[in-house]
Amino acid sequence: MTADQATAEVGKHSEIGSTRRSTGRASFLQVVRVIWLREILIYVRDRPRMISAFAMPVLMLVLFGEGLGNSIATLPGDISYRQFFFPGMVAMQVLMSSVFSGVSIVTDRQFGFLREILVAPVSRTAICFGKIVGGATLALANGLVMFAIAPLLGIDISLEIVAKLIGLIALVSFMLTGVGVAMGSRLRSVESFQMLSQVAIMPGMFLSGIFFPVNNLPVWMDVLVKVNPVTYAVAPIREIALSKQLSELPADAPFQITHVDWFGYTLSTWEELGIVVIFGVAMLTIAIRGVRTVD
Amino acid sequence: MEGSNDLDAVRTNLQDGIVSSSVQVAALSRSFGEIKAVDEISFEVGEAEIFGFLGPNGAGKTTTISMLCTLLRPTSGRATIGGYEIVDDPEGVRREIGIVFQDSTVDERLTARENLVFHGELFGMARNDIRPRAEQLLDRVGLLGRADDAVITFSGGMRRRLEVARGLMHWPSVLFLDEPTVGLDPQTRRSIWAYARSLRDTEGVTIFLTTHYMDEAEACDRVAIMDHGKIVAIDTPERLKARLGGDLVSLSGPDNEALAREVRDSFEIDPRFENNAVEFNIERGGDFIPILLNRIQGEVRSVGIRPPTLEDVFVSMTGHQIREAEASEEDKLRSMHQRGFGRRGG
Repeated sequence: MTADQATAEVGKHSEIGSTRRSTGRASFLQVVRVIWLREILIYVRDRPRMISAFAMPVLMLVLFGEGLGNSIATLPGDISYRQFFFPGMVAMQVLMSSVFSGVSIVTDRQFGFLREILVAPVSRTAICFGKIVGGATLALANGLVMFAIAPLLGIDISLEIVAKLIGLIALVSFMLTGVGVAMGSRLRSVESFQMLSQVAIMPGMFLSGIFFPVNNLPVWMDVLVKVNPVTYAVAPIREIALSKQLSELPADAPFQITHVDWFGYTLSTWEELGIVVIFGVAMLTIAIRGVRTVD
Repeated sequence: MEGSNDLDAVRTNLQDGIVSSSVQVAALSRSFGEIKAVDEISFEVGEAEIFGFLGPNGAGKTTTISMLCTLLRPTSGRATIGGYEIVDDPEGVRREIGIVFQDSTVDERLTARENLVFHGELFGMARNDIRPRAEQLLDRVGLLGRADDAVITFSGGMRRRLEVARGLMHWPSVLFLDEPTVGLDPQTRRSIWAYARSLRDTEGVTIFLTTHYMDEAEACDRVAIMDHGKIVAIDTPERLKARLGGDLVSLSGPDNEALAREVRDSFEIDPRFENNAVEFNIERGGDFIPILLNRIQGEVRSVGIRPPTLEDVFVSMTGHQIREAEASEEDKLRSMHQRGFGRRGG
């Protein structure tokens, strides 16, 4: 807006009331910021939700890590099942937190607040980004909390590795939040969102290598695991988290336990990340389209 | 351009008393399938006017408001708000208007102040303006003392006041209130009205509301009576009532037919039969009743007199009462359609 236009705008308003001022237009980033901020604020105030969000994976780690770990003896080298499972648990935490964050669109709709957002003179794409960045931030924070308690759980992980993982977990959070927002923008009740996200999360979780190495599986399961996008998010997290232990593995290990194999071809970390990005962009597109047409 | 000619035509029909208009509507229509929810309505609303849409549920009030708020696309016709056309420039319109929906749209997990700040940021208000403006409005609607409490602890009336304050945050030129006092107790309704009035006076904002309460319509500067998607009358409440021709006198006895005949013959008045009584309108009814009773031979058991209400205007304009209209089947269908399709993104 030029200075002249601005003066004219103010002049027009001051005819009516001296208190009136022209309002500008919120920039894309301003909209993302305010939507993001609200997501964080609401989450932080919801203590029970915060606590249960990270109690679940800890329980899983302790129960599965001990119960299941004792009966699984197929991991090569000196890697304990608990050590192997830990990065998977971080991924699981991010997966659940990301997808569930999409419920905020549904609750906004149920409480009517969504209309307040939708009648604002702002782009729907910015609203969608705000929701996704908000959900991804929470998922990232939930994932990182796991590292803070890792020493208590007897997990061997260095700060250097955690630092390396932050960017990766942020990316995975972003991608999986897209799934939640895409769902949230299309569903009208919290109940249906919860049901559907369970249906999406369960296979996503069990067929992703969170609980077991993705190679050396029966063929039918091998196929399912490898079409599951979560697999390609879990693998790089584990590769980095276990980089120390993996480098100590004997050269004649029976099979490698982290990288995904495609018919004998072993994907590199970067190739796995590429798949994560492609899936993330697809989800983002679907989420944006969902929010643009939401009513 | 054809559309702007329509608007020019409306402008020449400006109601007297309006200096300049903030809302102009020309031949606006919206159909849902076969049903014409809004049927070619045209009107104008002046700056700083309190303008009411009166009609039964399903008359097309909410559909009209949804179109003006750019939430629903019109089937045909044009409308401008603060100079912005609703279809051509929905974003311009959205900056000009504040909306208080029929159902609550505040975030009850945030505080009153946070709700306002969020709104200000979403509407691109300057950072320095947001907090003072929120403070000022919370004060004006009497919520400053509760500004930092979560909205979940607020009563229905407080929430509604908060929504009014929020609707005004970004200095809109028109504030839309869709059935603003439905579900509130009479005292709260009065206080909402008092706040609305004082805000109109201090903010200079045009208030555009829908209602099916007669007393609420009476409080408006001008009222448009809507029925079956059409505006059947539009004027100040006083002039609408004056159209009926004075006070409403009702008369009953053992033989109403005979009474009606006598009234017709002696005074050249054409009475109606309503509620088991003979009814007619006459100027200065209080002075007329002694003359009437002197002249009439037949037995009169009761005489009633009251000034006309907007309900009477509604009945005389539409041929039915507001409550009857609400029960009619077609209207039920109409409001069903509103609920189903009354929202649109854009």
